[in-house]
Amino acid sequence: MIASSIRWPLVQGEKSYSDISKELTAPNETKPALWWYIGMSLGTIMLAFGGWAFYQSLTIGLGTWGLTNSVGWGWDIINFVWWIGIGHAGTAFTIFFLVFRQKWAASINRAAEAMTVFAVMCAALFPLLHMGRPWLAFFIMPYPNTRLLWVNFNSPLLWDVFAISTYLLMSITLWYFGMIPDLATMRDRATNKISKAIYGFFSMGWDGSMISYNRYENLTRLLGGLAAPLVISVHTIVALDFSISILPGWHATILPPYFFVGAIFSGFAMVLTIMILMRSAFKIKDFITDKHLDSIANVLKFGSLVIGLAYAIEIFIAWYSGVEYEIYTFFRARISGSFSTAFWIMVICNAIIPQVFWFKKARRNIWTLFAVSIIINIGMWYERFIILISSLAEDFLPSSWTHYSPTLVDIGVFVGTFGIFICGMLLFIRFIPIIAINEIKAYKKHGN
Amino acid sequence: MAYKHIIATFKDETVLLKALTRLQENKVNLVDIYGPFANHDILKKFTRESRLPYMAVLYGLISMVSIFALMYYTSVIDYPISYGGKPIFSFPPMVVIMFLVTILGTTILSVLTFHGRAFLFPGKPTKIIDPSVTDDTFYLVVDQNYNPDEIKVWLEESGADEIMEKELNT
Repeated sequence: MIASSIRWPLVQGEKSYSDISKELTAPNETKPALWWYIGMSLGTIMLAFGGWAFYQSLTIGLGTWGLTNSVGWGWDIINFVWWIGIGHAGTAFTIFFLVFRQKWAASINRAAEAMTVFAVMCAALFPLLHMGRPWLAFFIMPYPNTRLLWVNFNSPLLWDVFAISTYLLMSITLWYFGMIPDLATMRDRATNKISKAIYGFFSMGWDGSMISYNRYENLTRLLGGLAAPLVISVHTIVALDFSISILPGWHATILPPYFFVGAIFSGFAMVLTIMILMRSAFKIKDFITDKHLDSIANVLKFGSLVIGLAYAIEIFIAWYSGVEYEIYTFFRARISGSFSTAFWIMVICNAIIPQVFWFKKARRNIWTLFAVSIIINIGMWYERFIILISSLAEDFLPSSWTHYSPTLVDIGVFVGTFGIFICGMLLFIRFIPIIAINEIKAYKKHGN
Repeated sequence: MAYKHIIATFKDETVLLKALTRLQENKVNLVDIYGPFANHDILKKFTRESRLPYMAVLYGLISMVSIFALMYYTSVIDYPISYGGKPIFSFPPMVVIMFLVTILGTTILSVLTFHGRAFLFPGKPTKIIDPSVTDDTFYLVVDQNYNPDEIKVWLEESGADEIMEKELNT
């Protein structure tokens, strides 16, 4: 590999390949620290709360949610869009940076892909539960049945089913395939029989043959090429759920690209949060360097500018269209009316605060990075709240206007998905190498 | 009697690349190279281009045509319903599903092809040349039919860390 003076080292310190294996498998080979148990306990409590809310939703029905005749999509769809947005960054990290040959993503893509898998699982739970009778979810699959009915291929909600199922399968495949050589490393390092057998089972007899590596690299590139348009299409389809309807605030052609950028933006913010936590917990600053965090912050700064522009264009188009309902939704309901607090939280969190990353000092300060990553995720949740609730609660007819607030069951389901996410991520960092060992070894000499 | 191969070990992939070039120049029959990660220069020199992408195109076409046929059959022939006066055969919404199922079908079939061709599957018994192969060492395996002594000299001159004659158990 050619070492260039303008490249920054992807791995800090003089490390042999063996050192890299040792340091990156240490979190899996040593006993978990106290924080891990605390995190798992917290996640389990959240899961229990979510389990209760789930039970209430199933046994009593969706009447336990805060939905009304006007606001038929409440917290569940807000949270669905929020989670699926977060779920975009993992694949985006792997795919777009693979396409643009950004080798620095090698340290981050494994954890980002794990985040994607768990976030998409959390997201899929909401529409499933929103069906009211999730045990009949198989009705939405097109198969010959005794009801003699087929699904409606014209419905964006059916497109969602195909999009999310494909995306979940693709994310799991990319994640799993990426880790096969590392599972083989774990297998060969394992000292007890059970670990050896489990890692051996999942590593598929990987022997490090270059002939296999060639096929493996080809498959990975192929999956990457397939996943890139898929990532864009999934959030586009989520946006079409809204923009194909005629509600003011939803019926806009900007929604697909706007949703996509928002997804990448919120996902990268979550990646930043997770990277900061992992880096501090496992002392892997040599692999996730300050420059890695700096690069993510730069992506966020760019995302923030695009999202700010999208907000401005939406408002401009509402005014330029001359449609009184659009003007009301944007200029009254959102900017200065019942939803103004949420609107301005959204603007400040997403379009203004991340601009702090123009300053190198902010990009190099771990506390600033952490705080802004959390702020963006809060802001992005509010963005989905604004889009959904303001358009539904105050639509064409003032007689159907309503006030929306979530119930404890709504909150419980949301908290429960956090439980899934936290427990999933903690189990991931406990049993799977958190950084792609084989990729780091391949790029070790980059810039060194 | 078991057949033995000449196996050279390398800790540095650039040295291995040198040895590989030397052996290839002398048209030595190489069996395989094992290592902890994929080095693109080695892959380029040692392996041939995979035909998987061509298969993927075929899989994509099969998936796309199949899902179009299913949608046409269900929406137009078997159960035509008029949704709000829209045409029974409406191609634009079908494009979305065709796009997604093309990706889905290509992914599943390509992964299955990879498993079949590389003969990798969950639970496959582990047979590795040495545990260090997934850690820090590259192994160059050479067929010794040609001229074992000369091969060993070339490997030694190229800088191999260790050269041995061993039965290959992978």
